Amino acid sequence: MTTAMTVPTAGGSGERSAVAAAGRSVTKAYGAGETRVVALDAVDVDIVRGRFTAIMGPSGSGKSTLMHCLAGLDTVTEGRIWIGGTEITGLKDKKLTRLRRDKIGFIFQSFNLLPTLNAAENVTLPMDIAGRRVDRDWMDRVVETVGLGGRLKHRPTQLSGGQQQRVAVARALAARPEIIFGDEPTGNLDSRAGAEVLGFLRRSVDELGQTIVMVTHDPVAASYADRVLYLADGRIVDDMADPTAETVLERMKSFDGRGRTS
Amino acid sequence: MTVMKTSVRNFFAHKGRMALSGVAVLLSVAFICGTLVFTDTMTATFDKLFGNTASDVTVSAKEVKHEQATGIPDTVPAALRGTLAHVPGVASAVPDVTSQDVTVADAHNDRISPSSGAPTIVSNWDATETKAVGLTSGHLPQGPDDAVIDADTAKAKHLKLGDTLRVIAQPGDFRVTLTGIVTFKSTNPGAAVVYVDTPTAQAKLLGRTDAYTGFGLTAAKGVTDAQLKANVQAVIGRGYTVDTAAETTKKEKDDLGGFLDFMKYAMLGFAGIAVLVGIFLIVNTFSMLVAQRTREIGLMRALGSSRRQVNRSVLIEAVMLGVTGSVAGIGGGIGLAVGLMKLMGKAGLKLDTSELTIKATTPLVGLAIGVLVTVVSAYVPARRAGRISPMAALRDAGTPADARTGRIRAALGILVCAAGALALVGASQADKAASGGGLLGLGVLLTLVGFVIVGPLLAGVVVRAVSALSLRFFGPMGRLAERNALRNPRRTGATASALMIGLALVAGMSVVGSSMVASANDQLDKSVGADFIIQVGSNGNQPITPAAAKAIRSARDIARFTDYTIVNATLTTPSGKKVKDELSAASPTYPEDLRLDTVSGRLSDAYGKDAMSVPEGFAKDNHVKVGDTMTVAFVGGRTAHLKVAAVTSDDTAIEHGTMFTAISTARSYLPADRMPGDFMMFAKASDGKAAQAYASLKAAAHDYPQIDVRNQADYKKLIRNQVNQLLYMIYALLALAIIVAVLGVVNTLALSVVERTREIGLMRAIGTSRRQMRRMIRLESVVIALFGAVVGLGLGLGWGSTAQRVLASQGLGILQIPWTTIVVVFVASAVVGLLAALLPAFRAARMNVLNAIATD
Repeated sequence: MTTAMTVPTAGGSGERSAVAAAGRSVTKAYGAGETRVVALDAVDVDIVRGRFTAIMGPSGSGKSTLMHCLAGLDTVTEGRIWIGGTEITGLKDKKLTRLRRDKIGFIFQSFNLLPTLNAAENVTLPMDIAGRRVDRDWMDRVVETVGLGGRLKHRPTQLSGGQQQRVAVARALAARPEIIFGDEPTGNLDSRAGAEVLGFLRRSVDELGQTIVMVTHDPVAASYADRVLYLADGRIVDDMADPTAETVLERMKSFDGRGRTS
Repeated sequence: MTVMKTSVRNFFAHKGRMALSGVAVLLSVAFICGTLVFTDTMTATFDKLFGNTASDVTVSAKEVKHEQATGIPDTVPAALRGTLAHVPGVASAVPDVTSQDVTVADAHNDRISPSSGAPTIVSNWDATETKAVGLTSGHLPQGPDDAVIDADTAKAKHLKLGDTLRVIAQPGDFRVTLTGIVTFKSTNPGAAVVYVDTPTAQAKLLGRTDAYTGFGLTAAKGVTDAQLKANVQAVIGRGYTVDTAAETTKKEKDDLGGFLDFMKYAMLGFAGIAVLVGIFLIVNTFSMLVAQRTREIGLMRALGSSRRQVNRSVLIEAVMLGVTGSVAGIGGGIGLAVGLMKLMGKAGLKLDTSELTIKATTPLVGLAIGVLVTVVSAYVPARRAGRISPMAALRDAGTPADARTGRIRAALGILVCAAGALALVGASQADKAASGGGLLGLGVLLTLVGFVIVGPLLAGVVVRAVSALSLRFFGPMGRLAERNALRNPRRTGATASALMIGLALVAGMSVVGSSMVASANDQLDKSVGADFIIQVGSNGNQPITPAAAKAIRSARDIARFTDYTIVNATLTTPSGKKVKDELSAASPTYPEDLRLDTVSGRLSDAYGKDAMSVPEGFAKDNHVKVGDTMTVAFVGGRTAHLKVAAVTSDDTAIEHGTMFTAISTARSYLPADRMPGDFMMFAKASDGKAAQAYASLKAAAHDYPQIDVRNQADYKKLIRNQVNQLLYMIYALLALAIIVAVLGVVNTLALSVVERTREIGLMRAIGTSRRQMRRMIRLESVVIALFGAVVGLGLGLGWGSTAQRVLASQGLGILQIPWTTIVVVFVASAVVGLLAALLPAFRAARMNVLNAIATD
């Protein structure tokens, strides 16, 4: 049981399929010969559109690497990756950058915002970079969704960690990307602020139809997702639908135990 | 020991970040050492040359201070030779005839004078010459038609044996045929030397056969130069100058020493400016390194390092940087000196690299300055590092907080600026140039310091203004560039200040230079009535020979000629004060050729018999007024009592502070052989015949290649060229400071890019293209450069305008701002900004997105 894949997807057709991002035989290896370390071992994955997917796994399992590869931040050693209908493996930096700009949103663990820009400017930054007009109605809705109303003119240094992450969420949502990748977006927050941010992510999926992939090691965070993929030693080892914090924790314990004995 | 170890490790870990500071130290030290090596080599070369040429004892005419410049050297009687030959201890007494007031032309009538401004020397060939030169081809002068020339000049002017040379001396012209070529035994830095036989030299250079310019005595075995000198003086008395070889060498060195010293100190001055600019760069580097290492230093403090240890560890890095940069700089300096010598070789000043003189003090001075400057510059950042609290280790690193500019700093800066501005205003209102000059210097210094202090504050205002006018057109990247330039005003301020210094000096100099040209042109238009100015070369430091003057007078379509010469005299004012000065002695028509304002009296009356004029400043200082009688002792002539008929205004650029008298008055008190020939002639064309007169004058002077005939347009061009030449030289020397400043911009950007690694990673992740990234860095660089340019040019315009006001009463009456230069400098600054960003922008664009995000 390596994958829960049922529908083989591929690019080519421009129509919106049910899959927002897909990887086939995604392999990432460092070094060669004796010192070769495999971070991702022929992973097949489909990210379903309009759903909230969490990727979990112990340290060194390859979960962050998988996300970076899917998001076009890192290159793969073997295999192919599609975002929407576009294959991104083999794309040159210029096209890849444009794709990230137009189709992908990012939320990092920390340092999400440019310190020289205020909250509103940070939110519209991807569109500014692209030279696109900002859709005011959508912006208002996003800002309202993440509850940033009164703080749009503040600089990042004047915002709390939770508020900063909310700005990051707003930025990711504002450009209406095909897919949003979150790299431990609540990793640096206390549980209350974390819960707020996760709540906004959940609402953006439910109310705005956004697709989100989030790497996390926190079972509570994972419980906000529709689906949890478990990685270990560079492979997807489990796929859980409609997780709760308890089931996730149980599953992780079993992996930990297995990891230790094997 | 641990401190030492961490310093050494940090130094090597950040050698890339130190590199540009190292280059700044290197350049400054190289310029200083290069100057020292170059001038020492020049001095050594001349010492050797003079040492080689000096006879054991030289006997020449008694030196008369302030001698009339007749164009014929002073002589001693030929009969003295017999007396000298019998002085005890004299092995031989060789007569010498040498003149530098000559022009030598080749068969095409082109001057063969060195282009470097070195003298042309015509001398008699005698046995003593073999000390300095050796015959390398042909034969020595054997008759009145023969001549030999030095090999360097022969080569430079393509002369070969059998060529005809024409020697133009004050007594007359003569032609000789080149029969031999001699080569200097030590390096001849550039003089053109022609030897003829002794009777020819006497007859043609001195105009008499019963005299020489001196004797070279050789001492008999066992007789010292000093003994010989004493013996000679015992016999011939005190009526002659008797010098030992050492004294002769010293005199010749002293003559040249002033020029060499001036050159040395001028170049060192510019090196000093570069050092000053380098300080900004080093301060910035260490500030940024300390800021980037905040967390690390906090950890060291938490683990128990004392403030002093942290402080010292930064200073040790500075010492290492200083030593590395200085040592490389000393090497670079030697290279620079060699390069300079090669360059000078092209300009006709020959120096031999095998005689490269590196004094022991040169590397010591270079090292001392390099290390001292680096350590002093790093002191403030080092102290800041010491103040980092151990808590810093625990805080989230991120980018260091914006350095806010303190209120105290602002107040202090504004205060200093205001004081400087006050001094400048005071200078422009001062009625005496001397006191105005002092205030101007003070104002320049204070405004410079003040602007450096308020630089960070200005950054906010100026950067916003500049970007409002330019960057905003570049969309989001322009806006980000503006914000980045503003985020650390202290850093931006220091970076731009470095550029500001160089550009302010360029702007100030250019204003003074163009005002000089404009004022001179204006005065030429207003007060010069003569159509043509005739003189030898461009500065007229040789009299026009009688033959040439006669030829020029033959020109047609000329309404009148004015003779003009300069005579030396000792003047005694009515109050009994003695002043050595020179008088301009001219034909009575001179006031029409040059209309000068008078404060009192009429200038034309000064040309009456036994009359003269004095300038305003002299009159004021010595309480001389019209009607007073001055006692004028003409050097080499009689003493006259001249009546002051006019006091001329000092508000003139031409003939500023000159006393005038009639040439006929001077003639009546000076014997013919003491009366200098015309230094200049002025001519006025007959009505409506300017073009014909000009052509006729040119034709008349054609046979005299030393003579330049200029109409007013030519003369204006000459002034402009002379001023521009000086300006270009200053610009070239300031270029060093500007290069260091540009390195500072590169440095700041490069370190900023490192500091902002995470930001850049984030921006790349969310879709900023490499091109946009590069553009952002470039625009930031441009805005910093333009900030420096705006402030620097503004400051320079202020300085230049004030200087013009100060000198307004000294003939610099017109303020002309060279807008072309200003605009070119401004645009060039933007271009320089683009170039400075080339590498940092490339690095930023190439940064690996993932690594950037992962960087802690």
